[in-house]
Amino acid sequence: MTQPIDTSIYIAITEAIRDEAKRLLLEGQVSAVIGYAGARRKGSAQPVIISQAEDAAKLIFSPASVNNLALYLTKAKKEIPKNGKIGIVVKGCDLKAIVGLMGESQLKREELYLIGVPCAGVLASTAQPSTGLTAETIAPKCTECNAHLPAGCDYVPNVQLPAPLQLEEKYIAEITRLEALTPVERWAYWKEQFAKCIKCYACRQVCPFCFCEQCLCDRNKPQMVESTPRPAGNTAWHIVRAMHLAGRCAGCAECERVCPMDIPLNLLNRKMAKELKELYAYEAGFEVNDKGPLSTFDEKDDQSFIK
Amino acid sequence: MSRIGVFVCHCGENISRTVDVERVAAQVGKLPGVAFATDYKYMCSDPGQNLLKKAIIEQKLSHVVVAACSPRMHERTFRKAVESAGINPFLCEMANIREHCSWVHENREEATVKAIEIVGMMVERVKKNRVLPTITVPVTKRSLVIGGGIAGIQAALDIADCGHEVVLVEREPSIGGHMAQLSETFPTLDCSQCIMTPKMVDVANHPKIKLYSYSEIELVEGYIGNFQVTIRKKARSVDEDKCTGCGLCMEKCPIKKIPSKFDCNLGMRTAIYVPFPQAVPNTPVIDRENCTKFKTGKCGLCQKVCGPGAVDYEQEDRLIVEPVGAIVVATGFDLYTINEKPKGSMIKGYGEFGHGKIPDVIDGMTFERLASASGPTGGKILRPSDGKEPKQIVFIQCIGSRAREKGISYCSKVCCMYTAKHTMLYHHKVHDGQAYVFFMDARTPGKSYDEFWRRSIEEEEAVYIRGMVSRLYQKGDKIVVMGSDIAVGVQVEIEADMVVLATAIQPQKGADTLAQKLGISYDKYNFYSEAHAKLRPVECATAGIYLAGACQGPKDIPDTVSQASAAAAKVMTLFAKDQLEREPIVARVREAGCVGCFYCKKVCPYGAVEEKEIRDRQGNLIRVVAYVNPGVCGGCGTCQATCPSKSVELDGYTDEQIVAMIEAL
Repeated sequence: MTQPIDTSIYIAITEAIRDEAKRLLLEGQVSAVIGYAGARRKGSAQPVIISQAEDAAKLIFSPASVNNLALYLTKAKKEIPKNGKIGIVVKGCDLKAIVGLMGESQLKREELYLIGVPCAGVLASTAQPSTGLTAETIAPKCTECNAHLPAGCDYVPNVQLPAPLQLEEKYIAEITRLEALTPVERWAYWKEQFAKCIKCYACRQVCPFCFCEQCLCDRNKPQMVESTPRPAGNTAWHIVRAMHLAGRCAGCAECERVCPMDIPLNLLNRKMAKELKELYAYEAGFEVNDKGPLSTFDEKDDQSFIK
Repeated sequence: MSRIGVFVCHCGENISRTVDVERVAAQVGKLPGVAFATDYKYMCSDPGQNLLKKAIIEQKLSHVVVAACSPRMHERTFRKAVESAGINPFLCEMANIREHCSWVHENREEATVKAIEIVGMMVERVKKNRVLPTITVPVTKRSLVIGGGIAGIQAALDIADCGHEVVLVEREPSIGGHMAQLSETFPTLDCSQCIMTPKMVDVANHPKIKLYSYSEIELVEGYIGNFQVTIRKKARSVDEDKCTGCGLCMEKCPIKKIPSKFDCNLGMRTAIYVPFPQAVPNTPVIDRENCTKFKTGKCGLCQKVCGPGAVDYEQEDRLIVEPVGAIVVATGFDLYTINEKPKGSMIKGYGEFGHGKIPDVIDGMTFERLASASGPTGGKILRPSDGKEPKQIVFIQCIGSRAREKGISYCSKVCCMYTAKHTMLYHHKVHDGQAYVFFMDARTPGKSYDEFWRRSIEEEEAVYIRGMVSRLYQKGDKIVVMGSDIAVGVQVEIEADMVVLATAIQPQKGADTLAQKLGISYDKYNFYSEAHAKLRPVECATAGIYLAGACQGPKDIPDTVSQASAAAAKVMTLFAKDQLEREPIVARVREAGCVGCFYCKKVCPYGAVEEKEIRDRQGNLIRVVAYVNPGVCGGCGTCQATCPSKSVELDGYTDEQIVAMIEAL
């Protein structure tokens, strides 16, 4: 039983993105636009950076537009022309990352032109890019999306987003299941997951928040995290990753999508986000914060963990 | 290759009782890099230090580990010793095998093994220590004194007499504090006002003292030698420069029935007032809550009658920033709230004694005001209820103090003596009266103190009853005091005309908030903590901040004055140098790894992290990285813990050192 999800608006969105990108480049408002373009396979989409107005026709938006393009503003920023504003196509989830990066002095709002996309959801996997979007094929993050319509963008195509379907919230369900386990059972679960890791660091490379030029895991004096994929070192890496993302990760779930070993990485991130919400009523990605809850101390903070 | 010397201390028997120190030295001596290891009875003593210095020279040592007590105790001692033998002091580390080992363990074998591990960790750490040059910072030779009671006044005068500027901040409209409220003082019975007011005037007239009365500390930034203090000068509504102190405004003020806090609510004051006639500064303040002008907009009499035009209803709070090099905290005490359990407090209160309900049950400070010649009764002992002279008076000691079940376990120290004084004052003023004192113990150590107490019994006819009072109740115009005399083993019931409770001394309200602003520590009662109870009794653990008076613990006037002068001497020691040498334990940024997320800047409690631009030769901005100002850095290491790429490290506590220690285990 597959429940189809209406993505017909993506055609109109594609048109609108093309027109806007063309206008921006012609008028010289931006030096480049980061968006999605079709790739070789039918229905596929890949990140593209265009700097010529005539290339605007390459741009598309489809259920295969899975990538979080915010990545190209930090890690790959050297490859983008330095001068002038940059236009970028953002889904609601991508925008949260950009908001977070602004709060961490990595981006400036005035250097960006945000083309927001009203998004009904994207695919969980692009292995078969032409698959239709259904309740089965949709990315788990989209089942819990609270930002279908990105807020505060410079331009959003004027299309009516169909009312989102009520889908089973997959992370919430899984977190509830794991929370019900005993610590021993939970530890066994994660040990098994982390044991799969091959230390390819794809999760790190794809994460917009892993913008350090020298990751502490690559250092050897002292060596903080073992470089070989051994269970203990794997666990250390994944805990470092989860902790570094606490209060920052807004759930684009790119880490989980790119993991070749199918480790449920975003599940860990969502659990951290849940803790932050419960402890400090804080949700990452909605406003540019000077200081997040984990870099401030307030006497009213919950102290119950100090026993 | 390092040639490390390890020196294991017996600390008399403190360590050697539980730890086999010879075995520790022998074991650690085998570690790679250790060239010399020995043990000695008292390593910190002169011969101990000489042994260390001799070994450094003879054994050509490159690093030193002293296995002894906490570094808080003797790190400085040994670093100095090491330095005098020609090694950089920061190549010497302490391994704490006393507090962390011998004092907390009983099993000799296990404690010895643990001591060997502790020392082994420090050996690995010291191998990675860097030579650190001492940092010097300039000293602002001005001092802040918080609190204008006898402690603050004494400290301010001493510092100012040495030629250094003092900023004295007092919360109330006048300086003088509690001592100005007292009638006579033990053990000589000289009048408090007579010895206090000249000092207050000295403060007012001293060219080196800048007095901020009716002001509070808003913000303290900076560090020893270089504090920036923001002072909130509350709106007085009277211009201090114009006011001549003629008092006409107070005479004309129609609101005359406000209970005077200075007179413990026994006397009345006007809405524009000075707390007492000898106030310094002698400038009135308008109590805006009770002033008709502020309540209804009408009246304005004081402004009309003021000749120099000093009354200013528009005045607002002002914030003033004062740079100072040292801070003396002298915020004093307050009396225990005895009638009720303060909200959210561990203190339970003494509802059974009827304080606040029975008008003639008063506390010691109220009795002082009754006995004071300048008090509301002109020095006559009269009951608050009907103004009659009490013929039977009962004093009850240890109200709040030494009562663990009520929340306070300490002794308030001054009550035995002031109650003895009260019985004398009473006997001098009411010749046919009888004073009774219920007491647990009489504690009278101090010069001429015990003689004074004996005198109250032997010459002034006070009846001392050893035992506590269980209940007080009003019966007609008498107060029935039910207690026990444990010396005789009988129940005692006295029909008294007045009861005086010797209530416990507590720190001032808001002492904890001020401590947080200053970054100093305080105990569970909010008394401020000294750096070392015996050896550094007037210094806070936070460098550059000193304590004087009852804010540190209950104290009488002689002790307070001594401590205030001691604090002043400490400030002068600091001011004797133009440059202050400070520990080079500061954070440094590894710019190559820094991505400029500035989490370090967000968490730095000292405001030491700045943004630094890196530009190429053409002047183009390449990137922005963090920079730690070594003069401002407090060496807490919070930035190091926060940095996601581990690009900032605290010298002496680098990740490499910490990991080396862990790996040694």
